[in-house]
Amino acid sequence: MTLTPELLLTVAADRLRATRPELAGQLDLSTPEALCSAREAVTASAADGSDGAVVVTVISVFSLPRWVVETCRFALSLPADRARPWRRSFTRTLHLAGRPDNVKERFRLDHVADDGSMAWVGPSAEGDTTPLRRLLRTFSGTRELTAWAPVTVEVPSPAPAGPPPGRGPVHRDLYISTVRVTVSDVLVQVNHLLAEAALDGLVRPGDRLTIRSVPRLAGLTVPFAALRVDTDPHRPRQLRAYAGLTAET
Amino acid sequence: MTAPTASAVPAGGVAGGGAGGVGPAVRTATRGGPREGGGGTRRRVLLAPVTVTPSKPLTPSHLKGLLWTDTMFRATAPLADVTYRYSHTTYHPTEQTLGFWEFLDRTRGETDYTAMSEEDIGELYVRFRAEGRPPTAAQVRPYAEAVEHTGFVHPASARVLRLWAGHYARLGLHDPGLLAHQPPGFGLEEMVEDLVTSGLGLDQRDVGGPVYLDATRFGLPLRQIVTADGRPNYLACALRELLPLAPLYHEVVVLYDRELDPDYQLLARVLSARGTVVHRVPIGRVPIDGKITSARHGGWHRHTVDALLRSVGEDHGPAALRLGMRLYFIATLGPGQHESFRYDLLRKALDRAERLLRRAEEAPRTDADHALPALLEPHRRGHIHIDPYRLTASLLGRGRRSPGLDLLTTVYL
Repeated sequence: MTLTPELLLTVAADRLRATRPELAGQLDLSTPEALCSAREAVTASAADGSDGAVVVTVISVFSLPRWVVETCRFALSLPADRARPWRRSFTRTLHLAGRPDNVKERFRLDHVADDGSMAWVGPSAEGDTTPLRRLLRTFSGTRELTAWAPVTVEVPSPAPAGPPPGRGPVHRDLYISTVRVTVSDVLVQVNHLLAEAALDGLVRPGDRLTIRSVPRLAGLTVPFAALRVDTDPHRPRQLRAYAGLTAET
Repeated sequence: MTAPTASAVPAGGVAGGGAGGVGPAVRTATRGGPREGGGGTRRRVLLAPVTVTPSKPLTPSHLKGLLWTDTMFRATAPLADVTYRYSHTTYHPTEQTLGFWEFLDRTRGETDYTAMSEEDIGELYVRFRAEGRPPTAAQVRPYAEAVEHTGFVHPASARVLRLWAGHYARLGLHDPGLLAHQPPGFGLEEMVEDLVTSGLGLDQRDVGGPVYLDATRFGLPLRQIVTADGRPNYLACALRELLPLAPLYHEVVVLYDRELDPDYQLLARVLSARGTVVHRVPIGRVPIDGKITSARHGGWHRHTVDALLRSVGEDHGPAALRLGMRLYFIATLGPGQHESFRYDLLRKALDRAERLLRRAEEAPRTDADHALPALLEPHRRGHIHIDPYRLTASLLGRGRRSPGLDLLTTVYL
């Protein structure tokens, strides 16, 4: 698979259509510009709608491997009826700076990392998250990524009874682009990729992921099972591949 | 002139400590007497008012805070060991001070500030604020390092502090070390680590985020105290000073502008979490013609302390000036900020002070060491420190006995 602007546009348009099939026929997704406008319109209507849902994360200490694991665990823990509205809201997630141990007495935390360094709340109606959002602050991770040695993590199985039916555990590579990508960008971009992969059954308990850094995804010839494509703030109205999950290796 | 009875002497064995030590330079007023001697029963109180940035003239709002604190300090001294902590060294690292210094050197180079007035330097400060762009960490770093490592004070601020020391002397205000190098007990990193370890801090500088004071477990919102590139705000500076200092006292009193209340609620929570009793004393500003304005915008001309002293200072003796100023700024204006500054009421207070002093001088002398604590005690309310408003307002009550000279000289002159 070779990444091209056309492929990125197809990936982004497919995500929009798959998330909101009822709107697919009305949307012009023929160019990056049209796609951006369509997405803004759909996102705005989702935010207004009563069926939308948002997830809030509370991050005290950020460690990429741990965060990747816990993001998958959280998404996999959601029953279908709670996952559906979140999926329809494009897995919208607000990342807040905060210490889970300090807010756990006042707020119900739906998922907390084993070491307490981060927590997940929701999916819930956006209004329900207001008190927590007032208490905490938007997570600010302005540091740009630097390369790291590949690291492999395993998404834990909730029960030791064995893999869920369907297929056995698999291994994939998770490529993350580093050039002009900040920690905050990773939280946004890779979160969508992993959450949606988990909700769609691409990532399951017991799977192993090798997290790899790469300046840009351009030039990678590995087959991707999922790509995260978004607008590039440094090249307005152009799309960029931020991260990708490979097919089983 | 009678010297204030609550004279300042260095606290026993406590001298200037470097950043990182736990013994910052403090001054404690003690009033030794046979009743309190040697038993170690006197309780220890720390007064920690917010400082005024030495970049502008003192205004009536500033003066009110200074008189309020001074009266609390001197009135509490007969009852407890009271420390008045007021360190400019602690607050120099804030952006508004370092940025001003950087602005001065960038725009004026080598300038002689020794003949400038507070107003002259204040005008430069207004220009700095009007520039409207905060300095970068790189721009202020040389100044931040100089403050930390050499006790540097920019000559413009040193000039302002010298002029203020003159006002203090004239007004009989205890000088808590305006020109002294008094570093906080904790370095920046030490403070952050202390907060994080005790669950009250969140340090995200490793990912390009800020440092927060985290009292969310008490329902108070997360508050940034250090920017991602390492610039502390005044709350971070206060924590460097008060975290190591507060546990040494039975009671800590923080005095501050009412507008800073959310921050001081946070500070009080954090210090209380260490087992210290903390009292917050917000002091309302003094509106000028109905408006409360920040000195950063200028426009203070007729109302600087300097102008005020020139306007009324010559009409009254030094003792009446000191007492009258306190009657006006404490009892007449009160803790709120509804009443605008009024020269006519200030003059009235000064006349009143003349009469009170005359009557006190004519009255028979009492044994101050025994009578004073009993006189002051009712103004403590549930805490160790004396409430300056209650005490000062009591001097003006109709039908009351005139205050004795011992009370006036100890607390007000």
